[in-house]
Amino acid sequence: MSEYLNNIVYGVKSFLTGMKLTMDHFRNKKELVATLQYPHEKWPVPERNIGFNHSEYNLIRSRLHVDIDDCIACMQCERACPVDCIKIDSIKPPKGSEIDCGMTSNDTQKKMIVSRFTIDMSECMYCNLCVFPCPEDCIYMVGGPNAEKHEIDYEFSQYKRDGMIFEFADATDEAIRDAGGEKWLDQRDVKLAKHNDGVELKGEVKSVKPDPITAPIKTDTPISTAKPATQTSESSGELEIKSFNDISDKMCRGIAKKAFMAAKRADKDAVAILADVAQALSDAGKMTEDIQSILDRLSASPSKAVAPAVEAGGDVKVESVPDAPEAVEMKEFDIKDLNAIEDKMARGTAKKAFIATKRSGEDKVEAVRKALTDAGKLDTATEDLLNSFSGAAAKVSAPVEAEKLAESTEEAVVEPVGDLPLFEIADLNGIDDKMTRGMAKKIFMAGKRTGKTRTEVIADLRAGLTEAGKLDDATNTILNKLGSGN
Amino acid sequence: MTSIFDSLQESLAFLNLDLFMLLSLISLLGGTVIFLVMAVNALVAVYFERKVSAFMQDRLGPMEVGILGFKGGKKFWGGIGQTLADAIKLLTKEDILPKSSDKFLMILAPFIIFSGAFLTFIGLPFAQNIVISDFNIGLFYIVAMSSVGVIGIILAGWSSNNKWSLYGAMRAAAQIISYEIPIGLSLLLVVIVSGSLHLGDIVQWQETNRWFIFHSPFAFLAFFIYFISTVAETNRTPFDIPEAESELVAGWMTEYSGFRWALFFLSEYANMLIVCIVASIVFLGGWLSPLHLINIFPESWYILDGPALGFFWVSLKAVILIFVMMWFRWTFPRLRVDQLMYVCWKVFIPFALANLFFVSLWELIF
Repeated sequence: MSEYLNNIVYGVKSFLTGMKLTMDHFRNKKELVATLQYPHEKWPVPERNIGFNHSEYNLIRSRLHVDIDDCIACMQCERACPVDCIKIDSIKPPKGSEIDCGMTSNDTQKKMIVSRFTIDMSECMYCNLCVFPCPEDCIYMVGGPNAEKHEIDYEFSQYKRDGMIFEFADATDEAIRDAGGEKWLDQRDVKLAKHNDGVELKGEVKSVKPDPITAPIKTDTPISTAKPATQTSESSGELEIKSFNDISDKMCRGIAKKAFMAAKRADKDAVAILADVAQALSDAGKMTEDIQSILDRLSASPSKAVAPAVEAGGDVKVESVPDAPEAVEMKEFDIKDLNAIEDKMARGTAKKAFIATKRSGEDKVEAVRKALTDAGKLDTATEDLLNSFSGAAAKVSAPVEAEKLAESTEEAVVEPVGDLPLFEIADLNGIDDKMTRGMAKKIFMAGKRTGKTRTEVIADLRAGLTEAGKLDDATNTILNKLGSGN
Repeated sequence: MTSIFDSLQESLAFLNLDLFMLLSLISLLGGTVIFLVMAVNALVAVYFERKVSAFMQDRLGPMEVGILGFKGGKKFWGGIGQTLADAIKLLTKEDILPKSSDKFLMILAPFIIFSGAFLTFIGLPFAQNIVISDFNIGLFYIVAMSSVGVIGIILAGWSSNNKWSLYGAMRAAAQIISYEIPIGLSLLLVVIVSGSLHLGDIVQWQETNRWFIFHSPFAFLAFFIYFISTVAETNRTPFDIPEAESELVAGWMTEYSGFRWALFFLSEYANMLIVCIVASIVFLGGWLSPLHLINIFPESWYILDGPALGFFWVSLKAVILIFVMMWFRWTFPRLRVDQLMYVCWKVFIPFALANLFFVSLWELIF
């Protein structure tokens, strides 16, 4: 009974204690309420720095910001970005135009109009690597040491993912047009139109098969149109890269062109080229009936004997692979050619390897390359030298070339890279630095005299300029433009 | 004491309707008023519940939703539109009936529970003359009607065809039926003293004598027994084992959503209001002002005592009691089933019986 009563007394006591506790909290809500009404109230952001010099390092990597007035479009931040979240497009006003692009706050004359400067903050990983190369200090993380430039900002929520791409360029369309950016504007508008239509956002898999309406045209017309075309190409002794534009799938087109270029450089004939292309496509698993029909059509006229060989592409490939080194041997790789190597040590190593392979009868170029690589002496100049002798070189540079090709095809229109004639020497006038310009022109003339193709000359230019340490961004862009045929 | 029913009958006499039409019209009007009272009560009470719980837990509760841009207080009492928004959300929700449920019973159950709360309001006076129909057995009617809901609860649990629902319903039935005994015994004590089941008469007795809570120590104890038992009767924490979230998801309401669930919710808060109004009328003097308790005020102050302010005093007492109920809820952890039954059968009922005996004795002696 006493336990029973004690229980009741204890119950009432604890009951009152509990009631008092909650009542205290209820009454003292002014001091005790811990909620922060976030959008209306914010905690102050702690000012913290890290590093040897406290004023230099900014731990609060809150948000990238660009003072676009100071940007000279040097592209250094774009290249520094490990995740490629910075995209810069610039328009250079034509020579002699009166357009003033303005001065930066460091009193540097700007030479470009920045038509696009986007940072995709959904990709940015706040590594701060783009900040250091900037010569004008115009890209930086806000807050912390940069607080006087831009106050701290860590809230950039958006309702759509697109909103995370922040555009900093403020050049108007008129300014870009005045500076000769008509083409850029057109490309941008095409892209925007695509984007607005949701072409790239719907995630639809584009079918490789052509539309039912266009399909009969493609399959039926070759009898009338393609035959003369291939006949002319037969007469001129080569296929054209344009022939592959009929392939609807971008990827397939890229692969086909890549294989075409590689084979062409190895001086193969049309049949072998087509066999290579077919092999490359089937290796990549992209071979469809449509492409097969296109290839058949292309190979229809040259010789009837080849046609079955194309269908059995694998067999032809086996034959055509040993063709490549043969073509290389024809190019006469002489020991004297190795004298072009500047470094004495490297030259010695190369010659030793050359003689060794001459005795054993192996592939000389590969052996020399291997020897040099092992010795750690393989620099770009030597590699170029070797490449110019090697059919395999085509294979090495081909992927790079084809990637560029694929990029350019993805961008907009298909550009016939391989068939471009050699550009004019005047095109190199775009290079600003006198020294560089001179050097480039020298290399160009040398290439022209030896009858090199456009891509080879550009590769030479790039190699030469890099060696001399003169290859800056602007020159690089010019070379890229020349390479892509603009 | 006249009722709204009688007043309306008199004032609508000029329409010369026959009795059936008149009764229909009055029922419609009265029903609308009751429904509005229930709805507004739920809206306000839920808002206060959320605010009280927030403050007791050092939070702020709803602060953002306003009505037409007016959010209420800046610091603590903001977000006054929150419950309205919640109600609209509830009404626009999908109406889900589980495939293997007993559809007829499942649809019927919320209406039975709602009817229980709804019918109770008919005999519940909000002030001296503000009562839909003035029963002379008002107290008995209210206790009877508030027990109707338990049928709905069992139906809801059974028809849901869900183990949690059934468990919850069983627990609810056991709990409600058990706790009706101490409630009845405590109210019986008042009936013995005042000699009437008519709520007007009970208040009349308190006016001539004193508030019933101060009648005797036993009546004082009876008030607490009544009040705590009603907390259990309305299935509120710490006696919320029928819908114990951590064990039974939502008890007998698990399978309900949308409007049907809103009816449960409405009934729950209506029941809260009912038991608090009954407590304030039976034990706390009803529409009498507390000024009578201490006779230090000058005569002119007794204008506050008039019938016009009766509604205010009843509401004030009810609101305070509702606040205490919320206070309980956000203070105590849930009881175990056996503890719940222990409190009822081993503590409240013996004490209530003893109370009854001693109050009878008290009445004989004094």
